Amino acid sequence: MTRLADLLPAQAKRLAELECPDFRTAPWVTGPPLSGRRVAIVSSAGLVVRGEDPFRGRDPDYRAIPASTKSEELLVSHISINFDRTGFQEDWNTVFPLDRLNELAGDGVIGSVAATHYSFMGATDPVQMEPHARELAGRLKRDLVDAVILSPV
Amino acid sequence: MSALGHYLEEEGIATVAISLIRPQTENTKPPRALWVPFELGRPFGPPNDPAFQKRVLVAALQLLERDSGPVIIEDFAEDDPRARPDPAWQPPRISGLSPDRMPAALAAALETEIQQLAEAYRRRVGQHGRTTVGLSGLPMDAIGRYVGGWLRGETPASPRDGFSAILILRFAVDDLKAFCLEAGAAGTGKPSSRQLGDWFWNDTAAGASIIALRAIGLASQDERLSAILGNFMVPAVRVAMMS
Repeated sequence: MTRLADLLPAQAKRLAELECPDFRTAPWVTGPPLSGRRVAIVSSAGLVVRGEDPFRGRDPDYRAIPASTKSEELLVSHISINFDRTGFQEDWNTVFPLDRLNELAGDGVIGSVAATHYSFMGATDPVQMEPHARELAGRLKRDLVDAVILSPV
Repeated sequence: MSALGHYLEEEGIATVAISLIRPQTENTKPPRALWVPFELGRPFGPPNDPAFQKRVLVAALQLLERDSGPVIIEDFAEDDPRARPDPAWQPPRISGLSPDRMPAALAAALETEIQQLAEAYRRRVGQHGRTTVGLSGLPMDAIGRYVGGWLRGETPASPRDGFSAILILRFAVDDLKAFCLEAGAAGTGKPSSRQLGDWFWNDTAAGASIIALRAIGLASQDERLSAILGNFMVPAVRVAMMS
């Protein structure tokens, strides 16, 4: 489990104090009940669809993962070696819960699942990611997404 | 992750983040977050436990229906049951490490080990219908030769257009780890990540080879080689155990 006490002291300190932009706003978007929401996954695991180029180092852009992607097609290309990959190796839902989202949509808990999901490479400086994230918002809106689950590693 | 939430929310998309490091989330203040007490790399908890994963996902998504933010940070109460070791798990049989840890001997042992683990790996891929090997684009025997070449002090040419030789080495090492860990989990039992990691780093030629690559990098005058082999081969927790 990731309680800071379980990490190396230096690693815990670095992660806890990771630099983040000093935001001037506190945005807050409301929406319909969950049963009416269209949900997308945005991961920071450096996920790529097999055959695409892996993330190189700290690339600031993102990769699209169509909802039709099969579990055998998804790879982790995150630069960090300091997180567990055996969970993902056994079951992609530990990182990318697309099967669970589809079940929730089938049960009517959420309205629907986005046509496309996305991944960044989370070790990248957020300032470098910003223009890509803002451009991604437009793509999400065109897919009528009104809820994003952000999945780190 | 919190910064991404901030940018998307500013653009009009509601977000909820899974948090793995609570102080980091408290510091970065995303609109909504669910802290989970799982190890890094498992934001939705145990593999192959759909009911558990769904509880995490629903707990996070339900924060979207709250009207008390920003900022909302809630805690998920359940621990990952797969964090516990499984005493029934047995790793596949391999020759084991010889006392000779010289890089050339390790390179030979690595290529032998890849052959020895191939059957367990195939069984595992058959069980799960997938593998996470594939970043380098090389088949496993070529990965063994490529990593072995670096161990022997060679600087092999990049086998893939558009990627430097050292970048392919990083991806090849990621593939080698995935191959061995998937083979390691092929048998009966549900090993924890710690069990698999202990086996890989303490008992396999692959683990010893990667540790040797790190040492080669740290001794190198080539800054890029030193940075990549020094920082992106052996996890910090394993480096700490070795010192």
